[in-house]
Amino acid sequence: MKSYSDKVHTWGRIWSVSALCALLSVPLLICVHMDVWPPMSGILKGLASVIPLYWTTSIAEVISYSPMLGAGGMYLSFVTGNIANLKLPCALSAMETAKVRPNTEEGEVITTISIASSSIATTLIITAGVLIFTPILPKITAPGSVFAPAFQQILPALFGAIGAGYFIKHWKISIVPIAAGILTLCFLPSLAVGPLIFVTVVSSLLGAHIMFKTKIV
Amino acid sequence: MDFKESTFIYILALGIVVFVAGQSMFFLLKAWKQGKKLGITSGTMRNTITQSAIFTIAPAISIVATVITLAYSLGIVLPWLRMLVIGNITYEATAAEAALNAMGGNLSQPVEDKSVFAAAAWVMTIGSAFPLILVPILLKKIQKKIGQAVQMNQKWADVMSAAAFIGLISAFISRAVAGAGDEAVIGDGAGVLSLSALLVSIGLMLILQTVCNKFKVKWLEPFAMPLSMLGAMGAAMLLAQILPESIAFLEWRG
Repeated sequence: MKSYSDKVHTWGRIWSVSALCALLSVPLLICVHMDVWPPMSGILKGLASVIPLYWTTSIAEVISYSPMLGAGGMYLSFVTGNIANLKLPCALSAMETAKVRPNTEEGEVITTISIASSSIATTLIITAGVLIFTPILPKITAPGSVFAPAFQQILPALFGAIGAGYFIKHWKISIVPIAAGILTLCFLPSLAVGPLIFVTVVSSLLGAHIMFKTKIV
Repeated sequence: MDFKESTFIYILALGIVVFVAGQSMFFLLKAWKQGKKLGITSGTMRNTITQSAIFTIAPAISIVATVITLAYSLGIVLPWLRMLVIGNITYEATAAEAALNAMGGNLSQPVEDKSVFAAAAWVMTIGSAFPLILVPILLKKIQKKIGQAVQMNQKWADVMSAAAFIGLISAFISRAVAGAGDEAVIGDGAGVLSLSALLVSIGLMLILQTVCNKFKVKWLEPFAMPLSMLGAMGAAMLLAQILPESIAFLEWRG
């Protein structure tokens, strides 16, 4: 009999392929319905400027997130998107609150429930937001608005809360990745978050491995 | 009727909404059933749902803001639809701008040509579709390797698992301390506001965790993180109002 983990991979693959078909059908159906076929040169030119960065980032993201998000969480996250700014912090905080660890069966269940709930909530909020708040939202989030500084600081606010307990508990392990991240940004201040995560995760794993071998942690 | 917001485009978008919600419900029910088998209490799983939904509110509002920003040029439906499947705030705006530039337009003017609109849809879709090929191929292999490493040495695996977790969070902490923002936008790079939000959020979280543990306030636990996050966002808003502009919006990396 198949294990839960094997079943998740089977379901995940089926859903991913279905999502790929659904996704590609959107521009295709737009072209068929409107009877317009944009020049291939225009599409290729547009893709040439986004693919090198985003496809490389995708590889780094798949490798960096998989130890944390579990199989169900990974399949769901990569279909619904907004991982770094939403699904990842959501899953990490859920594991922290439920007191379960990544790479365990319990961790797999909690991350999947967390990411599925977040995806449903996101779908509802975006849909409601688009329908209801279209006239007022630009005023709330506009650069001059009183609320703008709050929305600009979502990520530090999110990750400060998630990291707090971990940084106190594992302060020795935390020094290397934070230093590596800051140092990288000193030379490449505009580096996108995907490649930066790759740098901090790899340096954190290397640092922790050396500390473990030398009995520092 | 504007072709970018025709009934047909709305039907396409609703189809995607149903697909995403269906997939999430499917995995949620399967995980719930498995959780029961593993002995995880319904209370813990319900808490996870509540906490995750609350956590989602603020980031989701900023996603709606991105949808609306892109809507000026592409109409409301295509950006909405793109944000529901593999959507990513930074990617979608960049991809849309790249596609429009390639066709001689840009995001600061409404798209009037159907062909340009279709080109933007293709670029935004193909550019983001790669993970849907990568994950089904790579994930099982990566997780098998992780599983083998965990079995070989549990203590080492615990340290490495904490390290991976901390590594991920460190990227965002580093950006709040030393990352540059968009030069045209005030307040989005590392500076007084980002550092304040980070420190307030850490401080609030530690206080709330202490309250939960010391006074055994169980119900507060799932709210500790969302409250710390919202508190830090509120602090950033307050500081922007009370500090002189030259200090509040100081960004050391631009």
